[in-house]
Amino acid sequence: MLAAYLAIGAALFILGLVGFLTRRNLIVMFLCTELMFQGIIVNLVAFGRYPLSGPPTLHGQIFALFLLVVAAAEAALGLALVVLLYRNKGTLDANAWTLLRDA
Amino acid sequence: MIVLASVPPIQLDAHTLNSVYATLPLWPLFGTVAIGLMLAFNRAKEMAHYAVIAGVGAAAVLAGGVFYSMLNDGAAAAHGPGHADAARLMLVSDPPAQHAPADAHAPAAAHAPASASSAAAGHGAHGDHGPHILRYHQYTAFHWFSLGLIGGQTRWVDVNFFVDSLTGVMLIVVTFVALMVVIYSVGYMRDHHGHQEEGYERFFAWLGLFVFSMLMLVLAGNFVLLYLGWEAVGLCSYLLIGFYYQKPAAAAAAKKAFLVNRIGDFGFALGIFAIYHFLSPIVQPGENPLDYATLFKYVDKLETMSLWGVSAPTLIGLLLLCGALGKSAQFPIYVWLPDAMEGPSPVSALIHAATMVTAGVYMVARLGPIYARSPEAMDVVMWVGIIGAVLAATMAMAQHDMKRILAYSTMSQLAFMFVALGVGAPQAAIFHLYTHAFFKALLFLCAGGVMHSMGNIIDVRYFSGLKSVLPSTYRLMFIGCLALAGFPLLSGFWSKDEIVHAALDNRPWVGYVLLFTAAMTAYYTFRMFFLCFNGPTRTPPEAGDHPHDSPPVMTWPLYPLALGAIAAGFVGYGGHDGFFHKYVADSSMVATAAHTSAAWPIMLISGAIAIGAIFVAFARYGDAPRNEPDQQLLGPLWNLWNAKYLVDEIYDAIFVRPLRAFGKLLFDADRHGVDGVVNAVGATPGRLSSIAAWTQRGALQGYAVAMVLGLGLVFIVWRWLTPATGL
Repeated sequence: MLAAYLAIGAALFILGLVGFLTRRNLIVMFLCTELMFQGIIVNLVAFGRYPLSGPPTLHGQIFALFLLVVAAAEAALGLALVVLLYRNKGTLDANAWTLLRDA
Repeated sequence: MIVLASVPPIQLDAHTLNSVYATLPLWPLFGTVAIGLMLAFNRAKEMAHYAVIAGVGAAAVLAGGVFYSMLNDGAAAAHGPGHADAARLMLVSDPPAQHAPADAHAPAAAHAPASASSAAAGHGAHGDHGPHILRYHQYTAFHWFSLGLIGGQTRWVDVNFFVDSLTGVMLIVVTFVALMVVIYSVGYMRDHHGHQEEGYERFFAWLGLFVFSMLMLVLAGNFVLLYLGWEAVGLCSYLLIGFYYQKPAAAAAAKKAFLVNRIGDFGFALGIFAIYHFLSPIVQPGENPLDYATLFKYVDKLETMSLWGVSAPTLIGLLLLCGALGKSAQFPIYVWLPDAMEGPSPVSALIHAATMVTAGVYMVARLGPIYARSPEAMDVVMWVGIIGAVLAATMAMAQHDMKRILAYSTMSQLAFMFVALGVGAPQAAIFHLYTHAFFKALLFLCAGGVMHSMGNIIDVRYFSGLKSVLPSTYRLMFIGCLALAGFPLLSGFWSKDEIVHAALDNRPWVGYVLLFTAAMTAYYTFRMFFLCFNGPTRTPPEAGDHPHDSPPVMTWPLYPLALGAIAAGFVGYGGHDGFFHKYVADSSMVATAAHTSAAWPIMLISGAIAIGAIFVAFARYGDAPRNEPDQQLLGPLWNLWNAKYLVDEIYDAIFVRPLRAFGKLLFDADRHGVDGVVNAVGATPGRLSSIAAWTQRGALQGYAVAMVLGLGLVFIVWRWLTPATGL
């Protein structure tokens, strides 16, 4: 069973990663990172339910809940940043921002 | 005989007085410092001259005291010989016959006459000279710095003063002329409305510094201190030639004077090193070979030493002579002096006529014991003098700029002094130095007055007939010109005649050359004088509508100088039995010249020559012709003289341009070679980092790709390094 859950987690993660690498819209990219997050959380719950040794524990689910709280806080911060970036340039295109480039 | 003989020094009881005398050079320096303080209170402009006049005045009073004390040393010696330590004023007096032989403290040992006769060979008869007696005071102010422990005792370089009758003469000359020039400058350094020029206080500060430096040069008791004064007067000369530094010509002249002097001073420094080299192994522990007193004590031993086949006195004499040639503007490094006339006229009078340029003559005279032991060095001195005298006199014949004519005449007169030194008559040289200071300072200050009235025009082609415009300048300048021309009974007559006499007695042909040069001197002096003051009255537009004589503050100091120009020579009346020669007889000047002929026929001849030359000048230039009769007569020769023998151009081609090209080469090597390596070291990390920086594209997804690829890489490495788990 573990392998199936891990496969779903990996699929979510890969979907998010590919989306993040290919899409230019900052909000979509942001959502893609959330998707990668969810892939990780699926993994955590799966490992909690099917540990490699010993009886199942609730650690994975507690960890997942904890991560969801962190993700919510991070989403609030991230979206605020995206709004700020949009206000500055009037576009959501990630390529509009290349300030870290050396000359 | 050139034997230095001495007795134990005796201690004067007036130590306090001696300490007062020791402050002599400091007073002008106090003036300069006071100007610095005034600047802090914004009072320098109106008070600067008081400080320096007071300082130089105090020095002049003390100089009079020193002169007088040297005069009276004979009486002081009557108290009998005592014992003195070197740190106190010392007096060496009376021939050794009357006192016990020199003890260890005696600064100059008694020498057997036989040892000196070989040195004197080739300098004619010396039968009329007894052993040379050197009487001097030495005052050690403090230990300056240590040369280390040598022979168990510290070898100190002291700040010490060596005072003999030669010093007395020099002090009088320097302080008297300086005082007159400083007072004169109060009027000169103002415009026609009486407002001080820009830099008025700076001018006086530097004058004070100059007088201090010159007094240190004259009083110095060792070569290190002499070198200090020597360089300090050079510095002040540089600062004052370049006083109008906004003027490119003045700035260039200052630079030239400084650089040309450096050439001579290089040799001068080597000479000092040579003295140390020779004397250092043989002096007693605690003695410094660079002290004059030590040098004179061991000068006989020096005679037997040599380096590279050159005898020690010759080597030292020739190297030190290099410095003298630079400072005294002698052939072949005289070229800075005419250009130095870009400085204010009082500076020309004080530094470049009366005092600083005589330092070379003073130094050679002071080191008489060295030069007397080297006929070769003396011959070089004489030759330099002959060449310089003729060269300068001919160049002076064909100049238009009054101050340049006077500058060349200065060079020519200094060359006379060098001839006197070279034929072994240093007393005559110093006598001429002393009279020359009066009349040449007078002439320069008069020329300054003319320049002041003519709106800074000094070229004799632009004015004439100033007799009626500037009556008092006319009278004073007439006196100065007569003295320079050697008109009978004026000061220049006595001293120049003495030099000619010494030359005729020892090297007759040199005497004839000097007589001819003296005739040229009288001629060009009066050519200048007539062009300026005779003929129809013309003034340049720069002079304004009513040019007039200088204000009293500029005229008054000229009268004492004029008095000196008239009467200063009488101290030499009587030749070798006269006051001057008796006064300086016991100085460190060593006469090797013989006196075989009577004085009066030569006096008649040289007087007649001077008067004759003046009349010829009057016949040709009496009405200030504007077509330059000499140029018509002499043609290309005159033009060559006018172009100063093209020496400046030749030096430019031979030395200046190649040196400049060499400097450019070094500069380029530095800029492109050395700097290139250094800059490359700095630039390489930048270049390398720019390659790394290329990866920083700034695009968000680029970084994401990099992270994914990096993650993949980590994963691959991890899989590769760990055995398969079956996961």
